[in-house]
Amino acid sequence: MTRRWSRPRPFPLRAVVTIGRPTDWRVVVALLIAATPLLEGEAISVETVTAVTAAGETADYVRDIKPILRDRCYACHGVLKSESSLRLDTAAAAQRGGDSGPALVPKSPEESLLLQRVVATDLAERMPPEGEPLSSAQIALLTAWVAQGAPAPTDERPEEDPRDHWSFRPPVRPELPAVEDSAWGEHPVDRFIARQHALHGQTPRPPAGKAMLLRRVSFDLIGLPPTRDELHAFLADRSPDAYERVVDRLLGSPRYGERWARHWMDVWRYADWFGRRMVPDVWNSAPQIWRWRDWIVTSLNEDKSYARMVQEMLAADEIASDDPEAAVATGFLIRNWYALNPNDWMRSNVEHTAKAFLGLTYNCAHCHDHKYDPITQDDYFRLRAFFEPVGIRQDRVPGEADPGPFQDYEYSVLRKIVRLGAVSIYDKHPEAPTWFYSGGDERNRDTERGSIAPGLPAIFRAEQPEIEPVKLPPVAYYPSIRPEIRETILRERREAVAVRKQELAQARQAGEAALPELRQQLASAATPLNKTLNRAKTPHSTQLEKGETADDVDAEPPHEETQQQVSARLAVEAQELAIQVAEMKAADAEAALASVEARMAADRARYVEFSRSDAESLASAAIQAERAATVQAARTAVVEQEQRLAAAQAKPADDAKRQETIDAANEKLAELRKALEDAQAAPAATAYKPLGPVYADHSTGRRKRLAEWIGSRDNPLTARVAVNHIWMRHFHAPLVSSVFDFGRNGAAPTHPQLIDWLAVELMDSGWSMKHLHRLIVTSHAYRMASSQGDDAHNAEVDPQNQFLWRMNVGRMEAEVVRDSLLHCAGKLDPLMGGQELENKQAMSTCRRSLYYSCQPESDGKSPLGSLFDAPDANDCYRRTRSVVPQQALALANSDLVHALSTSLADTLQEQREQTVAGQEGEASEAGSATQVFIVAAYEQILSRSPTSDELATCVDFMTRQQELSSTPQSEDSLRHAAASLVRVLFNHNDFVGIR
Amino acid sequence: MTMRNRNRGCGSIPRRTFLSDCGMGFTGLALGALLAEDGIVRGSESPTWTPPDGRAHHTPRTKSVIWIFLSGGYSHLETFDPKPALNTYAGKTFDDTPLENPLHSPLHKKRFRSVAAEEINVRDVYPTIYPMQVGWKKHGESGIEITDWWPYLAQQADDLCFVRNMWTTDNDHAAENQIHTGRHRLDETQPSIGSWAHYGLGTLNENLPQFVVLGGPTRTDTRQSIDSYYLGPQYAGVPLELAAETPLPFGSRHTGQSAKQQRNEFAAINRLNELTAVEYPEDQELRARIRAYELAFRMQAAVPEAIDLSQETAATAEMYGLGDEATKLAGRRLLAARRLVERGVRFVQVFPSTYGKWDSHRKLKELHGKMCAGVDRPVAALIADLKQRGLFEDVTVVFCTEFGRTPGLELRGGGKDGRDHHPNGFTVWFAGAGIKRGVVHGETDELGYHALGEGHYVTDMHATVLHLLGLDNRRLEIPGRKRLEIDHGRPIHDILT
Repeated sequence: MTRRWSRPRPFPLRAVVTIGRPTDWRVVVALLIAATPLLEGEAISVETVTAVTAAGETADYVRDIKPILRDRCYACHGVLKSESSLRLDTAAAAQRGGDSGPALVPKSPEESLLLQRVVATDLAERMPPEGEPLSSAQIALLTAWVAQGAPAPTDERPEEDPRDHWSFRPPVRPELPAVEDSAWGEHPVDRFIARQHALHGQTPRPPAGKAMLLRRVSFDLIGLPPTRDELHAFLADRSPDAYERVVDRLLGSPRYGERWARHWMDVWRYADWFGRRMVPDVWNSAPQIWRWRDWIVTSLNEDKSYARMVQEMLAADEIASDDPEAAVATGFLIRNWYALNPNDWMRSNVEHTAKAFLGLTYNCAHCHDHKYDPITQDDYFRLRAFFEPVGIRQDRVPGEADPGPFQDYEYSVLRKIVRLGAVSIYDKHPEAPTWFYSGGDERNRDTERGSIAPGLPAIFRAEQPEIEPVKLPPVAYYPSIRPEIRETILRERREAVAVRKQELAQARQAGEAALPELRQQLASAATPLNKTLNRAKTPHSTQLEKGETADDVDAEPPHEETQQQVSARLAVEAQELAIQVAEMKAADAEAALASVEARMAADRARYVEFSRSDAESLASAAIQAERAATVQAARTAVVEQEQRLAAAQAKPADDAKRQETIDAANEKLAELRKALEDAQAAPAATAYKPLGPVYADHSTGRRKRLAEWIGSRDNPLTARVAVNHIWMRHFHAPLVSSVFDFGRNGAAPTHPQLIDWLAVELMDSGWSMKHLHRLIVTSHAYRMASSQGDDAHNAEVDPQNQFLWRMNVGRMEAEVVRDSLLHCAGKLDPLMGGQELENKQAMSTCRRSLYYSCQPESDGKSPLGSLFDAPDANDCYRRTRSVVPQQALALANSDLVHALSTSLADTLQEQREQTVAGQEGEASEAGSATQVFIVAAYEQILSRSPTSDELATCVDFMTRQQELSSTPQSEDSLRHAAASLVRVLFNHNDFVGIR
Repeated sequence: MTMRNRNRGCGSIPRRTFLSDCGMGFTGLALGALLAEDGIVRGSESPTWTPPDGRAHHTPRTKSVIWIFLSGGYSHLETFDPKPALNTYAGKTFDDTPLENPLHSPLHKKRFRSVAAEEINVRDVYPTIYPMQVGWKKHGESGIEITDWWPYLAQQADDLCFVRNMWTTDNDHAAENQIHTGRHRLDETQPSIGSWAHYGLGTLNENLPQFVVLGGPTRTDTRQSIDSYYLGPQYAGVPLELAAETPLPFGSRHTGQSAKQQRNEFAAINRLNELTAVEYPEDQELRARIRAYELAFRMQAAVPEAIDLSQETAATAEMYGLGDEATKLAGRRLLAARRLVERGVRFVQVFPSTYGKWDSHRKLKELHGKMCAGVDRPVAALIADLKQRGLFEDVTVVFCTEFGRTPGLELRGGGKDGRDHHPNGFTVWFAGAGIKRGVVHGETDELGYHALGEGHYVTDMHATVLHLLGLDNRRLEIPGRKRLEIDHGRPIHDILT
């Protein structure tokens, strides 16, 4: 145990200086350490101090000093800021100093401002001003270095100008390097890879075998293993372009879109609705967000341009305003929606737009200027301002019922899981201000600065045109004008008419059946006709005389009516009222249809066929029809209420609530009659009601501008970031390891020229991702074996295979594990798209895994998903890849794997028997039957044949499993052993592994 | 102290958790570290960064942690920080007392942040002082004040160490995640404390999960409390079901096969994998998988054994209150926690009460009385049990909740007998290895409103626990994942022995 220094009292440097000028810098070091304001609990061991003080010669500038300065000082005293005119990015600059004079006085630590400031106890004085003070060891190193005379290399260069940072310069297609090996000289990708091999003295591995290659490329492009037939066909195909044709087939498969959609869903943070799922209450994302997922799948299958996809995700409503189907692309922003706090929504929009498309960590500039990149805190809010006006709307989908308006958040009101309709982004608040706030807390608003305008950092601002408002077409701001929606509304109305007419026919039929007898009964009750009965035969509402109310009618005593008469009369009335109500409802439906038709006609004139001369008359006809429908509906309401009143009156006289009900019904009836009168008397409206919501016909154009910049060829980052994501998913390792940070603190590319070449190639191909896939998977580099081989040199110089002397070994993603299990067993359901499924069904249903709920709550991953590194729906620019025992338990013990094993074993045995039956006459030994089965299982599950050792092991295993059975010789025991063998192969490392 | 039995043979994989390290990056930390130790892998993403190698940064003072979390927010006032002033000024508003109005302190805003934007909802504050709902006494030689709802635990007062100046910032129940991850709901999520412990140290017993969760988290949106995020799923808490036939998902042999058949199947899997390993001797992931299958097979027996409470004596069962309906739930979970740490589980996170039941907006007296009665005896039993087994020197117990409750009466909805959420001050306690005994650290003001002085943000608890485990959490960073000062916290040295 080392002795610990007790917490020292503050001991300002000035005190040291006045004690006398120590000539031995070691004394200064000791004193400085004593003076260092130690934090509660921080302890320095004697060893540390001794080591540092005794090792004056070890305070090496490049090794020890520069990293401290870079980590803690450059952000303010480097190329980005030079605060107080001081730069510390070279030793010379430090000596030169700034406004307060030199920061360093060589050989005189106590006179060096730099050291005085880092040990200051006054927080206003201390440097660095943020975060922990420098550690004692760091201070000791700095002191020692200054005492040594602050030696530094003479050729030291200041920090690179951010404008010269590799990823901030537009990519230029580099020359293809010359390559000696002709096999590596044909494909452009290979020439860059081969150059690195040459530079590092590496010998690339030979091509992988055909079977392995087929398996690799199948997983890569469609996320599923090849079938046995596909395997056999490829192995038998000796044509030179056999592989290329496989690649084309895979890229043409709809499975491709599903496979790569899941990749991009990681990057674009796809999440199904969540918030408080157990309530349920939707706080985040939206229940219709799956339409965005389906849009991704479809777009990829169509090979839509990457840039266009990005642009539509940010601003489909502005750049594809005439294509209502594209609006769901803005799910990218809706996914970030957080009901309780719009600031949080904006924060996510800023952070993930920057990370996903630009590889920039804008989020770092939320609370302060970026420490590494030329992004100021103002820039942060400028980016936010592009998104500030957004809101979410909920549009009707053709053929579906109307979902109603999007439910905004209201404190303590649950938000419903709305499954109808499609959600999309639009500029809801064009005037919304963007307030600057400090400390990352929106409560600290600086409203005095006024609203921040949208804009880009200075470094990217060169060609920034003005933002112009976007004029929207009617289909965008008035979705009900879309022909498909009009058709849906009309069909709905026509169906309503048909239903009402049918109901009317039924009511009449019932009346015809019942009324004669009821009337007979009434007649036989032998009573003089009275006024009331007369009225019962015709609609009350038209029978009322002026000044007379329903009460008057009812108040008129039914003199002399017997109980029997009353019942009979009410029975007749009820029947007649039922018919009357049905008539009214039918009339209602027809009036509603007429209203819709008239309004649609007027709409067409107004929004579609602008030059029509009869627009005005159509509009007034629409107003008329709408009014007629309104009056008719009011009339129906009255008759329906009369029916209720009659029902109340028909209650037995001894019903305690009878009178109360009658009174209430009468009251309501009076109201409805008044409403009818009002409707009839209402002055003609000046406009007809639209068929659905009408939004503003302009959008601010802010997101359009942002999207154009991100998707433009001039943007230095977009293509590079995309290429890196695509490359990573082919080679299982990226070219730039910090996939969401291409800034100055990010990793350098392993193949800088290659990434630029690919970025330009992507853009030149019209941002075709399929082009890039094809290019990459047809390279030699991609087709190499992944094994290390006998040559140990490669592994010695590059154990992590940074320079790709071999292919990397992949592992199935969580979704691929499940999909492949199902696919191998022939059970994968090929159905595409639709509302997400719940994960509790994932182990018993067979849809592709990307269709199950993906969100950050505990039910947001399938049981296999949570074990095999399924994405964190909040943040998954790059997946983790783990090996844990629970994965083994799931693949060995789950009901799903057991069921699939049995099913696949049965299928393979059947196929074997059919084959054997087809080869009549050829004797098959018992052993070889097992062997044929084992080979088939290997081909089906691992896409290869077993080695002889493996075959022998498997035969032994199956024999032993049968022996262990309770009925060793039975058919059943064989069946179980076969299923067991299948399961063993599902658990083989090379099932989840991709070589 | 022997932390683990390391097999350093070339090519061995000494830890239960593995990651393959394909081309660097944060995807490949653990295995990369192990193999680097074995001299197999060199280099790393950052020249100044190395992944954890499973060894402690300094001499550990504890082996395992039992982290007991009471969900819903227990009132610090009615548990471990009683305030006579509440009775003195009962019914008065803060302004009517001679004391400083705590709402005027800048601390109020600093430590009270709504998830909901202020334009959507401003959470009410309650200035009318609500008296203590229970009496209290000084206990033990240390004379620590504990309320009368903790008769059993109070007998252990001299073994506990209370921290009365805790604070957090979320004024709603996402504070439950915050106390485990260190981040407010509006900030980027971080791995939970259990995950960091597991990540930093690895395993003491390869046959058991290293970060076990008992009794929770039960709501879908509280998974953050045990999640590992960018550390990878192998570091996430593993919830074990005490009552189920399969405590661990997929952890039991399928009914369709016999034990011998299953054993044969596992053996065949590894035989075939070993054949492949001959062809790919450099494949670390394959070696890791072979090991994972061996462990998985053993785990099937080890997990049920570890939580088989029937192996305990009747006296122990009685002590934990297993026979009493009121204490059974907490008793079973805490007893299982003891069995798990005994077997080397690094971090056991226990939710002893039903989700959110401490949340006493109304009827605080009734609810808290009942909830305390459910936990008091079992948790006192845990302390006594650890002591009698000599585990008190190896295990650190943490007892906490997401926030305190308001000194003022909650008036929302006509309330007349409850307290609202109170992030500005609350109390937790520690006990066991490395912890001082019979000590109270820190205080709140006279009304129990503000944690005085700097107080302790929740990550100070993390730093304390990690420090005891021998870890400096500043050294657990991952490239590309920026942790802030507030994430690290500082160990509460004053409570450490």
